[in-house]
Amino acid sequence: MSARRILIVNLTRFGDLLQTAPAVATLRVHHPEAEIAILAERNFADVCDAIPGLDRVIRVDLDRLGGLMLKGGAALLDGYRYVEELLEELRGQTYDMALNFSSSRMTAVFMGLLAIPDVRGWSMTDDGLRVIHHPWARLFASMCLNRRFACFNLVDYYRAMAGGGAGRQQLRYDVTEAARAAVAPLLAHVPAGRRVVAFQLGASREIRQWPAEAFVSLGRTLAHNGYEVALIGGRGDCGLAAAVAREIGDGVTDLCGKTKVAELGALLDRVDALVTGDTGPMHMAVAVGTPVIGLFFGPASPFDTGPYSEDNVLLHATAPCAPCDHNVTCLQPFCRTEIDAETVAAAVVARLANDWTALDRLATVTRTARLYRTGFDGDGRYECSVLGQRPPRPDDEVRRAYRDMWCVLLDKARVPSGVATSVDRAPFAALERLAHEGETLASELRTAVKRRAPIEVIERFGREVEVLDRAIIEQGGMHPDVAVLTQMFKFGKESLEGNDIALLAELTRRLYHDLARGAETMTSLLGGTTYAEREDHAHLHQ
Amino acid sequence: MILREENRRVLEARAPALLSTIAVAEVPASFQLGTTAAGAPTLAIGGVPLHHPRDPHGDGVRWARGAAERLAAAGAVRAVVVGLGLGYHVEALAERFAGTIVVVEPDPAVWRVALASRDLAGLLERVQIELEPDPSEDAATGAQRTRVLGYAPSLLLPGDAYRRALTAWRGSAARLGVRLKILVVSPMYGGSWPIAGYTARALAALGHETVFLDLAAFHDGYRALERFGTRRARRGALERSYADVLGAGVVGAVEAHEPDIVLALAQAPLTPAALQEIGRLGAVRVMWFVEDFRVLTYWREVAGHYDYFFTIQDGECHDALRGVSGAHLDYLPCAFDPDVHRPLSLTAEEQEEYGGDVAFVGAGYRNRRLAFRRFLDLDFRIWGSDWGGAGDLARVIQRDGDRMSTEESVRVFNAAKVNLNLHSSTYHDEMDPRGDFVNPRTFELAGCGAFQVTDGRALLPPLFDGGELAIASSISEMRALTEHYLAHPEERIPMAGRARRRALAEHTYRQRLQRLLATVVGREQDRFLGRARTTTVGDVLRQRSEGAFGEFLAQFPPALPFTLDGLVASIPDREGALSEPEAIFLFLHQFDELYLREIRA
Repeated sequence: MSARRILIVNLTRFGDLLQTAPAVATLRVHHPEAEIAILAERNFADVCDAIPGLDRVIRVDLDRLGGLMLKGGAALLDGYRYVEELLEELRGQTYDMALNFSSSRMTAVFMGLLAIPDVRGWSMTDDGLRVIHHPWARLFASMCLNRRFACFNLVDYYRAMAGGGAGRQQLRYDVTEAARAAVAPLLAHVPAGRRVVAFQLGASREIRQWPAEAFVSLGRTLAHNGYEVALIGGRGDCGLAAAVAREIGDGVTDLCGKTKVAELGALLDRVDALVTGDTGPMHMAVAVGTPVIGLFFGPASPFDTGPYSEDNVLLHATAPCAPCDHNVTCLQPFCRTEIDAETVAAAVVARLANDWTALDRLATVTRTARLYRTGFDGDGRYECSVLGQRPPRPDDEVRRAYRDMWCVLLDKARVPSGVATSVDRAPFAALERLAHEGETLASELRTAVKRRAPIEVIERFGREVEVLDRAIIEQGGMHPDVAVLTQMFKFGKESLEGNDIALLAELTRRLYHDLARGAETMTSLLGGTTYAEREDHAHLHQ
Repeated sequence: MILREENRRVLEARAPALLSTIAVAEVPASFQLGTTAAGAPTLAIGGVPLHHPRDPHGDGVRWARGAAERLAAAGAVRAVVVGLGLGYHVEALAERFAGTIVVVEPDPAVWRVALASRDLAGLLERVQIELEPDPSEDAATGAQRTRVLGYAPSLLLPGDAYRRALTAWRGSAARLGVRLKILVVSPMYGGSWPIAGYTARALAALGHETVFLDLAAFHDGYRALERFGTRRARRGALERSYADVLGAGVVGAVEAHEPDIVLALAQAPLTPAALQEIGRLGAVRVMWFVEDFRVLTYWREVAGHYDYFFTIQDGECHDALRGVSGAHLDYLPCAFDPDVHRPLSLTAEEQEEYGGDVAFVGAGYRNRRLAFRRFLDLDFRIWGSDWGGAGDLARVIQRDGDRMSTEESVRVFNAAKVNLNLHSSTYHDEMDPRGDFVNPRTFELAGCGAFQVTDGRALLPPLFDGGELAIASSISEMRALTEHYLAHPEERIPMAGRARRRALAEHTYRQRLQRLLATVVGREQDRFLGRARTTTVGDVLRQRSEGAFGEFLAQFPPALPFTLDGLVASIPDREGALSEPEAIFLFLHQFDELYLREIRA
């Protein structure tokens, strides 16, 4: 059914807001008449004005709210009032669908307060419990906790939550003529024909930032080879940029802190390539069609937040621990320095020359990073293809299998053929067995409820389900390869709502069924025999 | 004695209810009204002059000058003056102090005499009038930075109305809105130990930053000293050394937490040296001695090192303490924690396990062993420890006299038809004829809504009456009352209900601790007045009390600081749908955790 008013909640930074554009386009396909609004943080909301398809941008002033709360005392009441007024404004719009793209407990409570009928993403029950509506939102949350196997780009989660399908979509940012005019003088001194490579020096956290000396070395190499280097970044990066510019010497233009968000789009549109970590400007470059040479280390993973367009080159540190979990602070971030400037310089030059053969050669000989080329699969989903002759690692094999498996499970895709791998499939088989037990148990429970069995019987089922679920979660804890499946199952259980025990039993049965099917499919995709097949086999021999 | 017309007019407009009280107040014969040579009226009560007999105006000005200086030094914007006299000093203060003035005069007869003898219309327009010695919540929190001033001549009058008013107003004014950091020190074991926990919970619920130093973990070590098998003298020395170690530990905790107040419960192992050190570190040292001062006598060594000493006995106990300590002494009876001692819905199995006609929960002291023989022909069960060798009683002692958990004792209280509550004695045969203090069990049983027959205690009457508890003056009467109420549930059940209502209204640990802090903080008002005042729930309710927001806030004590942590703490434990204010505060709390914790750190 087509929605009339849709609210997107995205209180993250401007890179994430830019990545909302394909979801907006998808919503537009499914709900052509709907008014689509976005709730965004005031500091970054301007970027939404240039995203096509959005009818309204509602700005929430988190700085003001934070200021009131830090002040405390009576000002806390003002903070309360501010939230009340925001709720009143949003409720007045009577939205019938909401997509929460900010996966946090804070926005979950907020969605609960809004009480919009069709919420996708994190929300809250009337009792104050967190729920995650929509399977792709649950998958995203599960993947955030198991990042080694992250197999979809954030944009594709957003798109799936928006209804999915709708063909290939891309990040969009409409650069205005005024913005182009404003940035034109900034690089007017660069001779015609001289190619400009921009460096985004800063990042939201130090661990996401490539060292200054590496940028200096890269800048010198590029300048020496006839490229103009343009340094970009926010006001907070100006000191760093000045130092880097000074060290590079000739052939560098320091534009740090000289552009607003709209002008940054125009500037990135003007340059020939951007070298950056996983940052907001990276997504801006994608949105204006500028190639990216992306440096991924620390918590950044090219698989889930890489640049959502074709033919970008990504270098991912080979540290066995990469990527970091979102919730950890690494005290030994050696992966930042693993990616060397020489390799990056070679990647920049080859990419600007569109020389993928050179990039393949580079990827084959480079030991400190794996190189990827971005692109899209047949369903229009982002994918990273490894460059060069590099044997797949077990994690890569599991990630690939997961990608196929989730498409089977959530998008009803056909099960592709498995390939022989070195991955231990026993944990998947064990999980499948537990899930089948659960399926049987839930079916029996549903039958017992329908036959009005005594409460003691129902309670006994409840206890058995509890024990079984604990075993399933423990399986995920013991075997990281299956943890995405068990986490997905856990979120699914947490999101069951209602008082109708027969219905809950049926929904529970489906969760076990999906878990069994997921584990079975993984076993098959990883080149093994499934539990069910083995059971059949055993049966034949009895 | 007729009120002057100009006074009557103003009072009628400003406080008509007060006017009706004041106009008919009987002026006792002890009131002696006089006139100076210049024609100014003067008043003495029972021979105590309330003004200089020849120069009441000058006397008032001198008092007001000193008061105005104290108010200015404290940066106060509100002055509460306890004692009106004939108003000379208040008039003089009104000329020197621009802030709000509240006049507390608890004797309506003084008001009547003052308003009949002097033209105080201008003053009545200017000041806020209070007749009650205890401030209402609104009156106490009406303004920020209040300083309470006692008018010395009024304080010298017989009776304690003025002193009580002074303490109550000082306590409320200084306490409300001030969030204190309080370190509660428990003993290692014994009857005071659970009270330390209840105390810490109550203080935290009142909004104070409470650090509970639970020393129960050290009891095993203390007991283990026996294993050395030393002679008695050496053992004593070892125990003192152990206490020194614990005392040094508490001093370390005081250094680390920098509390405003260190509140020790009876038998907390604080040695004189530790207490001196704590005092040097700047904390106010408070003892709540919830034990019988006649039985536990170690107070003689430590009482001199406390600033405040609260006891569950008065009279003789305070006389003895005054002999060894200059601490401020106050009577503060025990109480109960409504979250722990509460009515329960028991299952049939629990009722079977813990129920019965008559029950007693407690230790096997001598007087109980003797007295309870009289109940052996009833359906009687005894729960608790230290009943070894109790002879005839053995068959009614449950679980071989094992120690009971608090939760289990609550079940027994709820399950029994009649609970006996005989105060312990190690040297009486049955009842202590001069027993004074009221034990915690009295409040706890009442809090459970459980019916009890207790022995009469000198200090019981103001706390509970015979319509709430069955009070026996002898064991024979205890037995007779037990039989009577077993046969009359229609009397017993309503009595227990009345006892619970009374307990909830007057005898919770929160109320006790509020009183304790009123005394401590009130007397230390200069120390605490300088602290930044925190906005309280009461302050916010005055700004906005309507609808769901008001209902949400009304469930918290008005003195609770208006902070997210305090407001949100109760939400996870609740059941059912969240109200809108709960959800908004939860949202703000999550926002705080996500964005602000790091900034604060």
